[in-house]
Amino acid sequence: MNATALGLRRGWTEHLNQLSDRREMVTALAGSVGVYALLVAWLGGDTVPGADVRMGTYLTAGFLAFTVFSTGLTGLPLMIATDREEGVLLRARTLPRGTRVYLTGRATGVLLTIATNGVLILLVSLPLTGGSLPASPGRWLTLAWVLTLGTLAVVPLGAALGILLPGPKTGAALLALPTMVLLTASGVVVPLSAMPSVVRGIAQVFPLYWQALGLRAAFLPDSMLAAEIGHSWRLGQAAIVLGAWAAGGMVLAPWLLRRVRGR
Amino acid sequence: MDDLAIDVRQLTMAYGGTRVLDGVDLDVRRGEVFTLLGPNGAGKTTLVEILEGFRAGWTGEVSVLGEDPGRGGDAWRARLGVVLQSWRDHGRWRVRDLVRHVAAYYDRARDADGLLDALGLTEQAGTRAVLLSGGQRRRLDVALALAGRPEVLFLDEPTTGFDPEARREFHLLVERLAGEGLTVLLTTHDLAEAERLSGRVAVLVAGRIVTCGSPAQLARAVRAPARVRWDGGEVETDDPSRAAWELHRRYDGPVPGLEIRRPTLEESYLDLVGEAR
Repeated sequence: MNATALGLRRGWTEHLNQLSDRREMVTALAGSVGVYALLVAWLGGDTVPGADVRMGTYLTAGFLAFTVFSTGLTGLPLMIATDREEGVLLRARTLPRGTRVYLTGRATGVLLTIATNGVLILLVSLPLTGGSLPASPGRWLTLAWVLTLGTLAVVPLGAALGILLPGPKTGAALLALPTMVLLTASGVVVPLSAMPSVVRGIAQVFPLYWQALGLRAAFLPDSMLAAEIGHSWRLGQAAIVLGAWAAGGMVLAPWLLRRVRGR
Repeated sequence: MDDLAIDVRQLTMAYGGTRVLDGVDLDVRRGEVFTLLGPNGAGKTTLVEILEGFRAGWTGEVSVLGEDPGRGGDAWRARLGVVLQSWRDHGRWRVRDLVRHVAAYYDRARDADGLLDALGLTEQAGTRAVLLSGGQRRRLDVALALAGRPEVLFLDEPTTGFDPEARREFHLLVERLAGEGLTVLLTTHDLAEAERLSGRVAVLVAGRIVTCGSPAQLARAVRAPARVRWDGGEVETDDPSRAAWELHRRYDGPVPGLEIRRPTLEESYLDLVGEAR
């Protein structure tokens, strides 16, 4: 069987193994979909100040971005760090094409988790926000490519982080702070226009801001543009920045893996 | 050359100034069970990991199945079976799922169920790997290493932490595999295990091969002198019978408090290890 097919199958089995661990699944869902449902139930009915958009819709876009971001840049690195500690990476090295299969498997797992969480968020949003889905086929298309490119932008990067992390426990502590900072700074929860200009500048270097912006473009009406930088969705720029992160990560991750190998 | 599965010449590996391996020469023939025997920290694992292609930075000539392990590609790797020390990976996977998955990496893989049967894991086929006992987990590791019909099997301290029965079963398994023509390189710090299993044994102490040969040759090579003690003194000799005969002649009768002690193979081995250090 070729390495890609093996990796896909591996990712699928890992995903099923994870789902059958009830406690883990509940924790994972509570941390993403659960928090989303709570916030939407609490604030979702309010309208965004100064606009005719409900808070729930804004949160939907933000939480989808957060799911991609946290699965790719926190969940994946911690999984890889755990795998390294448990010897999964070493096992992969004893098998022909093992490392390639392993990485494909982990990437598949991330895609499956993002897809599961994304679908759950949209399902929860329906009754709670009274339909905050993208309004036109064009916006659905935007949703599709932003999610895909946004995922591609974080998966190789997350793999590289996982290779660099000292271990799962210290790793979790190391990742928590930058994740929180970036989450707050990127306008996922609070609109970026409310941030000081230095923060705005820094946030625009990272993929999370562009991912969230692209998702807002899919979910929010153009009347919300007043809150965005340059009063534009800047989708072209979003594609370039996300693409650059994806390409950079795809070069960086295998290079790092080779360096760690010689150890 | 062709009948050698592993050929090592002047292998040296330094780690921050200290030589973990120091000019190691080693050859393992095809179909042979070869043991690297040595105390902890002797360099056994480093040596095996170099042969498996997991370590860089060594000097010397190393060939495993005709290839330099530093450069072996996927086709080469597919001909090796590797059991590392104390693996606990893939804990969430069910035994049969994992064996099937690993078998799918190979072109001429063994049948997963047959493999489980051969290793006595059929009853555990649906169990998650994390729930296996130490011996079962080790057998799973061997099953995974055998899935691709390897030509060489590496076993790094495979029986550490086994109870006597698990150990005995494991020895029977290795003997069966050897009977099928598989080349096995195993490491152990247990002399009895080396004696029982191996065609040949190399003793590795502080990064050097101290002696290498069949268990019988090893016994002769490491045999420390016997101790002859009596009320008037004590001598160390390789020929205790002659020493006793001479004492009898000297005393012209029974020798008071005569005692002859031959060291066990284990004592001799420990002696050798102590000396080389």
